[in-house]
Amino acid sequence: MNRFLRTSYLVACVAGVGFFVLSVLILGVWPGRVLEEETRRMSPEHPLKLTASEQRGRAIYSKEGCAYCHTQQIRFLKSDVIRFGAPTLAWETQFDYPHLWGTRRIGPDLSREGGVHSPDWHFSHLYSPRSIVPESVMPAYPTMFNGAPDRPTQEARDVLAYIESLGRARELAGPEGEARMQAASHQMDDMQVASPVLNASPAKARRTGTYSVIRYHLIGQTTHADRGLNVYNRHCAGCHGSKREGDGPGAKGLLPRPANLTEHDYSRERFSFVLWNGVAGTAMPAWRDLSKEDLDALADFLAPAPSTRRVRPPGVPRMMELGRSVYAAHCAQCHGVSGEGDGSAARELAMLPSNFHDIAPVNSAILRAIRNGVEGTPMAPWTAKLTDAEIIAVALVIERREWE
Amino acid sequence: MDVTNPGPAPQTQVETSLVRAHGIAAILMLFASLVFGITVSIELVWPNALDGSPWHSWGRLRYDHTQGIMLGWLANAFFAFLYHAVPVLTGRRVTSVKLGQWLFGLWNFVVVIPGWILVLAGFSQPLEWAEFPLVIDVFVVLALVLAAIQFLPPFFARGLVDLYVSSWYIIGGLIFTLLAYPMGNFVPELVPGARGAAFSGLWIHDAVGLFVTPLALAIIYYVIPAATRRPIYSHFLSMLGFWLLFFLYPLNGTHHYVFSVIPMNAQKGAIAASALLGVDVMIVVANLLLSLRGSGWFPRDIPLRFVGTSAVFYLIVSIQGSVQAQMSVNQAVHFSDWVIGHSHLAMLGFATFAAAGGITHVWQRIPSARYNHRALEWAYWLLFAGVIIMVSDLTHAGLTEARLWQSGAPWLDSVNAVRIYWLIRTLTAIPISAGFTLLLVGLTTGRRGAGLDAIRESVGLEAIEQIAPRLVGSGS
Ligand code: HEC
Ligand code: HEC
Ligand code: HEC
Repeated sequence: MNRFLRTSYLVACVAGVGFFVLSVLILGVWPGRVLEEETRRMSPEHPLKLTASEQRGRAIYSKEGCAYCHTQQIRFLKSDVIRFGAPTLAWETQFDYPHLWGTRRIGPDLSREGGVHSPDWHFSHLYSPRSIVPESVMPAYPTMFNGAPDRPTQEARDVLAYIESLGRARELAGPEGEARMQAASHQMDDMQVASPVLNASPAKARRTGTYSVIRYHLIGQTTHADRGLNVYNRHCAGCHGSKREGDGPGAKGLLPRPANLTEHDYSRERFSFVLWNGVAGTAMPAWRDLSKEDLDALADFLAPAPSTRRVRPPGVPRMMELGRSVYAAHCAQCHGVSGEGDGSAARELAMLPSNFHDIAPVNSAILRAIRNGVEGTPMAPWTAKLTDAEIIAVALVIERREWE
Repeated sequence: MDVTNPGPAPQTQVETSLVRAHGIAAILMLFASLVFGITVSIELVWPNALDGSPWHSWGRLRYDHTQGIMLGWLANAFFAFLYHAVPVLTGRRVTSVKLGQWLFGLWNFVVVIPGWILVLAGFSQPLEWAEFPLVIDVFVVLALVLAAIQFLPPFFARGLVDLYVSSWYIIGGLIFTLLAYPMGNFVPELVPGARGAAFSGLWIHDAVGLFVTPLALAIIYYVIPAATRRPIYSHFLSMLGFWLLFFLYPLNGTHHYVFSVIPMNAQKGAIAASALLGVDVMIVVANLLLSLRGSGWFPRDIPLRFVGTSAVFYLIVSIQGSVQAQMSVNQAVHFSDWVIGHSHLAMLGFATFAAAGGITHVWQRIPSARYNHRALEWAYWLLFAGVIIMVSDLTHAGLTEARLWQSGAPWLDSVNAVRIYWLIRTLTAIPISAGFTLLLVGLTTGRRGAGLDAIRESVGLEAIEQIAPRLVGSGS
């Protein structure tokens, strides 16, 4: 009897270890084989590995626990795909030692963060998240900087490089890559691999994009104005400042600086475009996740009251002539022959030149832009090439919006 | 052997000095882990509270919080309990006192404390329940081997005949942890991306299921009959529960990555296993609660009350786990504070209550140890209130986040909506810290030997006579 018991306990012990081995086989090793095979079929032939700087950034991301607030795994679910973009495939993480999938989202998923924000946005955000996103709870990482957001240490540069690499492999795979993935997916019955947009971030700035003009309500509807003020303070004041003068706490580290909204009149179209698409090449994000009501309220809030609309200065014919010739010679290749911002060189620029029919800066802002240039943009200072009379003349053309 | 009816076992000696060393270390490390946790929670409510130095940045403290709870608090508490329970269960001494001293030193001064410091200094792994750096992991595995050498031979020396269910859980817990730990800590460093995540998923569940749960259950199964002096309700149910648990737990892991790229069949299998696990836990807990019948709803004996409550928490957290593994629920609450509530119900509710019950139970039985019933009574209620408020609060927060994430609302709306819940969670630190402080007070103040009096009051004099001969240890 004793002996029987003894062997049966031994059997039980072996069975116990067997359970464990079984679990490793069917939930670890077997899925691993499937994923490896899938990676082989879906991956581009020469997948890009991380550079040394990106690797270092990844190590910082690991040790700072970024993955405990940010996932890097978009699930095969409509709610995830709409918010973040195409679901994460196995081959996209094939060089991730160890993986950084994460199981908690305090901040948004970062699988496709590359290209969403500009470098100066990221630096300011890492240095002091609440300076540009007033309601953020993300920790600040000031020790990655030499005392200011525009003075990053190598650490901050590495983190930026890593962030910019997120989602890159998939972007580079292109349409042929997507087609290959679609064909090779074993999950097709249950789930959709593809998504209409690879990167669905509502903040990603675009150079073009469809948008519907935001309605302007009657100014003076107080509830609406309150709502606009509230949205502005929550989302915009960090950069544009509480007085809208472009001098919020987050403005210091940004180039170009946030626009001084009091110095410009924006057309409805421009305003709608900017809120919907951001300003590509600058820290100005897009706001596609704000509700239509919030966007309307913002538009109302920021639209100049009719009484304060500026009157155009009178045009002195000789000055207008001089201004037009200067404009045609020096400005048209960028700002367009008739000021539409569609000059022949515009396509190559990191950011689009201003369209003066949509954006009407006050005289002093125009003069400042011509004399000093706009730091952080292709708009250079012109004092070396133009005389003061020429500058004043061309400014008049822009202010009067009269190109012929 | 039945713990309720121990025969004379004169050679049995409990190494009380090691019980006390691990018991005190457990509670001190609990305080450190608590401070990490509270700081992390404060940083979410007031993100500018600290100056942004990496040494107390959110991520690093977050790593130290969970590693401290698992390896600092729970493991030490389990060791304290084992130094008492293994000799009583087997009638034999543990392998060696000297080995015990090495194990104590290794665990606390080579694993936990250096692990914490290294994490704060920026050396860590971004893997859940595996945040200590690899070099520490090597020593954890070494220490687990030593623990196996220390505690398992007494069982094998008895020829494994007629083992009480606690013994099974102890043997299972020690062996399985030794197997699972390297898998969770080393494999994802070698296997990339989604493939590594599959192993991580296994370990996230095994850390709780194969280390914490078996040892916590060993305590509950031990303390209930020992404190009530009545045998467990059904030995058959005990064994059924045990084997189902060890079959099902490891198969749960992939439920941490539902709707991921990991093959659907593995996900669905893990989800089915999760549902079955809930059923298994119902069997286990029914058996435990039936064993408690006749002891009143709130037994006067504090250790018994701790483990009884722990069993109830275990039931709730397991049913919750089965539910949240299901795809329709998972797609909403995954990634949210709901899960943080779940893990606190498991670690702070179930495991911590079992560990507190285990420590106080063995403390009562050290004749020279101080014991303060009143303080422990308060500790119980404060902790109970803290857990309940915190878990309901976080569950609510999770549901709020889930709703906003499913809508198209901007991300920050979900952060804003739960701020108030985060504040309440931070405030639960008050009852919880007070409870733990009183736990320490309860074990370090009061009369020496008051613990034995407490037993006498709850179960009668003859019980003491049965216990006393087994306590001829080094009893300092
Ligand atoms: C305590 C949680 C937390 C930690 C830790 C954390 N973040 Fe964040 N992060 C957030 C939150 C919340 C947001 C959303 C609000 C915002 O934009 O600041 C965010 C936003 C971001 C964004 C912008 C996402 C977008 O597209 O709008 C990036 C990039 C980012 N974090 C990177 C990091 C990096 C890199 C680390 C580690 C060095 C990190 N985060 C650590 C919480 C966190
Ligand atoms: C991260 C900082 C930041 C935030 C937040 C921000 N902006 Fe901007 N914004 C900028 C910068 C930088 C520019 C300048 C772009 C340029 O030079 O063309 C800008 C430009 C603008 C412009 C002028 C665009 C043009 O046509 O040149 C408008 C209008 C504007 N922002 C509105 C808003 C509103 C409304 C919000 C809040 C919903 C907002 N911004 C939030 C940084 C920010
Ligand atoms: C290399 C292309 C380029 C040329 C040439 C150029 N600009 Fe610009 N300019 C830009 C860009 C790009 C911007 C947008 C800057 C921004 O949005 O912040 C800009 C902006 C401006 C602004 C608007 C600043 C504001 O406050 O919004 C004015 C005024 C302006 N340019 C005038 C001129 C004049 C006058 C000339 C010719 C003397 C000229 N630019 C030549 C590229 C150019």
